[in-house]
Amino acid sequence: MPPDHAGAADEITYLEAVRSALADAMRDDERVFLLGEDIGAFGGAFGATAGLLDEFGDARVLDTPVAEEGFVGAAIGAAWMGERPVVELQFADFVTCPFDVIVTVAAKTHWRSGQAIPLVIRMPTGGGIRGGPFHAGSPEGWFVGQPGLKVVCPGTVQDAYGLLRAAIDDPDPVLVFEHKGLYRRLVGPRPAAGARTPLCTAAVVREGSDATVVTYGSGVAIALAAVDRLGADVEVLDLRTVWPLDREAVLRSLEKTSRVLVQQEAARSTGAAPHILSLVSREAFELLDAPPALHAPPDTPVPFAPELEDAYLPSVDSTATELERLLAY
Amino acid sequence: MPTEPCSDVLSVDARARVALLRLVLLQRLFEERGLALYRQGRIAGSFYDGRGQEAVAAAAGLALGPHDVVCPLNRELATHLARGVTPADAFRNFLGRADSPTGGRDGNMHFGVPDLGVFPLVSMLGDLASVTVGAALAFRRRREARVALTFLGEGALSVGDTHEALGLAGVWRVPAVFVLQRNQYSYSTPLARQTVNTVLAERIQGGWSIPCETVDGTDALLTYEAIKLAVERARSGGGPQAVEAVTLRIHGHAAHDDGRYVPQELRDEYAGRDPVARLLGRLVADGVTADELDELRAGVAAEIAAGLAEAERSPPPDPATLEQGVWAAPPRATVVP
Repeated sequence: MPPDHAGAADEITYLEAVRSALADAMRDDERVFLLGEDIGAFGGAFGATAGLLDEFGDARVLDTPVAEEGFVGAAIGAAWMGERPVVELQFADFVTCPFDVIVTVAAKTHWRSGQAIPLVIRMPTGGGIRGGPFHAGSPEGWFVGQPGLKVVCPGTVQDAYGLLRAAIDDPDPVLVFEHKGLYRRLVGPRPAAGARTPLCTAAVVREGSDATVVTYGSGVAIALAAVDRLGADVEVLDLRTVWPLDREAVLRSLEKTSRVLVQQEAARSTGAAPHILSLVSREAFELLDAPPALHAPPDTPVPFAPELEDAYLPSVDSTATELERLLAY
Repeated sequence: MPTEPCSDVLSVDARARVALLRLVLLQRLFEERGLALYRQGRIAGSFYDGRGQEAVAAAAGLALGPHDVVCPLNRELATHLARGVTPADAFRNFLGRADSPTGGRDGNMHFGVPDLGVFPLVSMLGDLASVTVGAALAFRRRREARVALTFLGEGALSVGDTHEALGLAGVWRVPAVFVLQRNQYSYSTPLARQTVNTVLAERIQGGWSIPCETVDGTDALLTYEAIKLAVERARSGGGPQAVEAVTLRIHGHAAHDDGRYVPQELRDEYAGRDPVARLLGRLVADGVTADELDELRAGVAAEIAAGLAEAERSPPPDPATLEQGVWAAPPRATVVP
């Protein structure tokens, strides 16, 4: 496999963690196979499957035609037959194409018939690479609240590996939103082979007592940096799975801090934030010392021009400013 | 108009002929009973039937082997029954009972019994074409001599998903069989308003290089032979196959629709071509006695009556169970302490 960085031997990128998770899962379980566009000889648009064709062959690394609805549907059929298909969509924006089979077939089959559909769909999400309106979106919110699906958004190297392994083990359809801006920028200790990050559980990635930042995906590193910059005693809760939500983890943190900033890369009226804010207002109202705050991009598609995209995306600066405002209330 | 018996297809033996007759009669009598229940208000929601298309559903169901799988649509009750789904199970689904295949979560023909190799129908046409291709892909990957079959109406051939599935089936060369239910209408829209080239077999062969024979879908024996051959070609490594079965949907899209838009000339064309009557005529011509046929019909009627009685004894679903089964691994169960 080609190296993606020249770091220490015991550190890998988020992208290498994804690739390792795929390779380890395929070594451990014959039922696991990959399908997607350009994932074979080319190694995938971002290189997540580089080298896997050589190791596993074209019966387990299937290049597909440009037919997302068709090959996601086919993955559902294979899952019905007991296989463990892992689909790659080239960009998360393209999930519009197989939306129908995901919500109509994958999400509802178990509830209607008792037949599990163990399907994983990986998709590079988010901005920061000047992708514009069709290659930089964060569409996870379309699936938050959809019964029958699980939606995960790894924000660390450890979880890029562990959430993907757990998703492949899981009997339900799991959508994995891998942040493309983190692929080569985020480096961390190499996860232990076989490590799993449990689904549907949030993690406190930094303890604190004055406020809680609830975030996920690209927001995790940004929130940690913002808290560091302020030198504040702030807790950072990484949701990891944005649907179904880990309700208890949010409430547990608010019992301690009484202030919450919900921060995400998805536009403010989509993503997981509206659901977190609904939960907080319904179930944590009496715990709060300040109105729940939201830091998320405006309700527009993702812009292309660097000046626009930089203004659009939450940054360490903008997150620190929002946090100061919340702490001063 | 006198009814012409089904063709005397030599490859279809006496046992298969009787099995087909039993299946078309089961679907016919079930749906007649069900339609009455719907009109009496005892079945809620909507009621779809396959009158005029029973032979296609029966032929496909009987053509499959015990380890094959199928994704039936709305008008293929006989396919379910051929796989071992019971009339009681089907009635339970129409009645929305707790122990129905969907446990009351879905109604009418929107069900499947995965353990019997029958995937539950979804309403979005074309979706199950790709699911079928995926099941067949699993068989090819594991080198299992199994086949996956589904049905496509004219409406589904206007849906992009269908074409994605047909394309994948060919590229991956999977053992999938597509049975085209050419029943002339998609709801109220005739085929000529659905597509310019109305020769569906030509579209399938020319567009997707999938072999496709056209048969008279009111002739149970011809249809059975064609689907059986397609299934065996797919099973023996011939790649995806298709059969276009030409029929007329005798009833409307569903029970609320009287089909007033179907021209009389078309109805006249099909007046002497009822698939059940044609198959009965064949068996009479084969020398099966009236007593034997009466006995078969009485047996089927008794089976339908017993199935309905059994279904009506089933309890309604308990609202307390509504949130069960949304996930195979519910969120709490995945929490690691």
